[in-house]
Amino acid sequence: MAVAVSAPTTPAAPPRRVSARHFVRLKLRVMGNNFRGQGWRIALFVAGSLVGLWFAATGFVLFAAPGLSGEGRYALMVAAFGGGVTVLGWLLLPLVFFGVDETLDPARFALLPLPRRTLVTGLFTAALVSVPAVAVLLALLGLVVTAAALGGWSAALVAVVGVLAGLLLCVAAARAVTSAFATMLRSRRVRDLAAVLLALTAALLGPLQLVGVAALRETDWDRLSGVAEVVGWTPFGAPWTAGIDVAEGRVWAAPVKLLITALAIAALLAWWSRSLESAMVGAASAGPAPARRGATGASVAELFPRALGWVRRDRFGALVAREARYWWRDARRRANLITVAVVGIFVPVMVNLGGSGFTVGQGQGFSAPDTSSPVLVSVSMLFVGVLAAVTLANQFGFDGSAYAAHVVAGVPGQQELRARMTAFSIYVLPMLGVVSVVLAVVLGEPGWIGMMVGSLVATYGAGLAVNTFVSVLGAYSLPETSNPFALNSGAGVAKSFLTLLSMLISAVAAVPMVVAAALLGDVWLWLALPVGTAYGLGAALLGAYLAGDVLDRRQPELLATVTPRR
Amino acid sequence: MTAEHPALALRGLAKQFDGKVAVAGVDLAVPAGSFYGLLGPNGAGKTTTLSMAVGLLRPDAGAAWVLGHDVWADPVGAKQLLGVMPDGVRLFDRLSGAELLAYHGLLRGMDPAVVDQRAAELLDVLALGDAGRTLVVDYSAGMKKKIGLACALLHGPRLLVLDEPFEAVDPVSAALIRDILQRYVIGGGTVVFSSHVMEVVERLCSHVAILAAGTIKRVGTLGEVRGDRSLEQVFVEVVGGRTATGEELAWLSR
Repeated sequence: MAVAVSAPTTPAAPPRRVSARHFVRLKLRVMGNNFRGQGWRIALFVAGSLVGLWFAATGFVLFAAPGLSGEGRYALMVAAFGGGVTVLGWLLLPLVFFGVDETLDPARFALLPLPRRTLVTGLFTAALVSVPAVAVLLALLGLVVTAAALGGWSAALVAVVGVLAGLLLCVAAARAVTSAFATMLRSRRVRDLAAVLLALTAALLGPLQLVGVAALRETDWDRLSGVAEVVGWTPFGAPWTAGIDVAEGRVWAAPVKLLITALAIAALLAWWSRSLESAMVGAASAGPAPARRGATGASVAELFPRALGWVRRDRFGALVAREARYWWRDARRRANLITVAVVGIFVPVMVNLGGSGFTVGQGQGFSAPDTSSPVLVSVSMLFVGVLAAVTLANQFGFDGSAYAAHVVAGVPGQQELRARMTAFSIYVLPMLGVVSVVLAVVLGEPGWIGMMVGSLVATYGAGLAVNTFVSVLGAYSLPETSNPFALNSGAGVAKSFLTLLSMLISAVAAVPMVVAAALLGDVWLWLALPVGTAYGLGAALLGAYLAGDVLDRRQPELLATVTPRR
Repeated sequence: MTAEHPALALRGLAKQFDGKVAVAGVDLAVPAGSFYGLLGPNGAGKTTTLSMAVGLLRPDAGAAWVLGHDVWADPVGAKQLLGVMPDGVRLFDRLSGAELLAYHGLLRGMDPAVVDQRAAELLDVLALGDAGRTLVVDYSAGMKKKIGLACALLHGPRLLVLDEPFEAVDPVSAALIRDILQRYVIGGGTVVFSSHVMEVVERLCSHVAILAAGTIKRVGTLGEVRGDRSLEQVFVEVVGGRTATGEELAWLSR
């Protein structure tokens, strides 16, 4: 801020209005400064943008296809389902994988005399300036082509308005949900409630997929278009189908649908604005902490949770105990853990109940069997194992500058990595067991439990090995805010790219398990457990052994990368 | 062997951040048993220098020895003799005070029984026992400094390197910290700490070095550096400050 030092004569000049333009410029400036002198960051950003463009182009073709090919009867369906999935993605993906880009942290504005309305509009506008938002906009503009081809320029015009409103809806949904969820997780009392909320949100995936799968399997176009019509009247589909409605002659529907969208946006923004206030205040002070009394005689005994009574009282044990405590006490880690648990149980159940739907989605045609198969189960187990392991991809970033304690104490890298894997596995392995049992019960195939556990452990172990390397070489700092979903300025694209890459490598490392399931047949149901366990354990230990050496050599560099704002 | 080697020796330590020189070749010899103050204005490179001296930040050039052990070639030997309290670095603050001390003790490979006994004593002396099971993240700034000091002292190091130990600490806690450090030096330990509070340095230190713009400007015993003037006068002269004329910021007064 340039303060007019030389103008003492006009102290009472009215402050100029702050508009959304300032927020956008601030965001661009922060992003630009972030790239300064960091070649790899620019490279990652460019790569991420290219991936975004590729998705945008694919989406554009998909959405424009009904119009270009003149197949008008698919237009409504493509718009309602494609658009609905987009909104759902914006709603859920930030929670599950990527976090939100907090280039402009609301807490930084707490002291400025800004009306909340200005703040919300400003932050909202700034949030629109991002690669995913632009990519989605480009993709959905395909709907405009469809509307124009089917209904001329008036339909196209409505479609443009609809798509723009839909984009606003997506961004507002992402912001509101993450902000509200972050506020809830911060309070320790309602964290259980938060877990339930996430479970419910993830469960939304279920009905949608079942409907889609059932419809696809029977290729019952009438029923499907009925569903599409219904979806079109919800906020998920309303903005996208308005243009199609005009093209198909239901002109009266367009304004109603746009109104539905506007109401949804307004509601989301109001919700966001409410949780924003607590985000701003909460970051400044968590309030006076009640002194928790307790005997402080045996410090060492206190460090070790009761469940870890069996761990030896040495350096390795201390590392395991501290990590185990942190996975629950640190809101950021807890959010990750809960997400893995919920997604890990829901996705395999959905995929396997949905049977062929998943393989159709993979572009393999309709050749998949009607019921679930060992191969399909193995594939879904692969997903769960990889998802669990990828949580560790930035394990040092969770610690931030506190990692300095390990550097000062000279903790050996291999021991450190083994301890971190052990502590995380204390939470994850029982969870993987639950996933297997639940899935076996749901599918009615108790004989498959051994194979499921084997595949899970193998994938998880291979994933640990890969992510250990990623965590040592590709660590990044997390901002010290209380929002567990916050990412550092402008780093969002780069980081999601890195996450996807490590998931991909982990998945490739575990492919032998799927191949074995496909080739070996029934023998595999018995062999999978011992072979998978050995494979996973071996991979994890090998990963810790190799990455530990790397860690020993670059401890100070790692500390520098995970320390926020050097 | 400790008699022949200085407690901390730095030679030609240099560091640049993105082409901007933070530390431009620092040489320093801290005699064993001394109470050494590293003075400098904000941004002089104090934290950078100390971070390189204790192995937290890899220097572009130069070397550091702790009691004869090269910090970068023989980190294990050097780090055993060293206790560090960095500034602006978080602790593992989701642990309670007692848990944090136990963690640090075990990380250092200490015997659990010894850890228990020393931790209880440190918590008692530093008046942190009342906090009970409160997490360190909920401690006040002064309490955080004290628990940080306790972590650095727990394994009985021969050299203590403290970055801004008196920053944001109330007078009562500051007196307590001073007292503990003085006893530590009398007991044969060596303390190196950075500060820009002149009174504390004048009261405590046997040796002083003034760092400005990444280089050592004055170094020696407290008497040598300050001569017959006050340390503050020497410091302002070396660093080169500007004094307000009363013309600027006129709009602040109504």
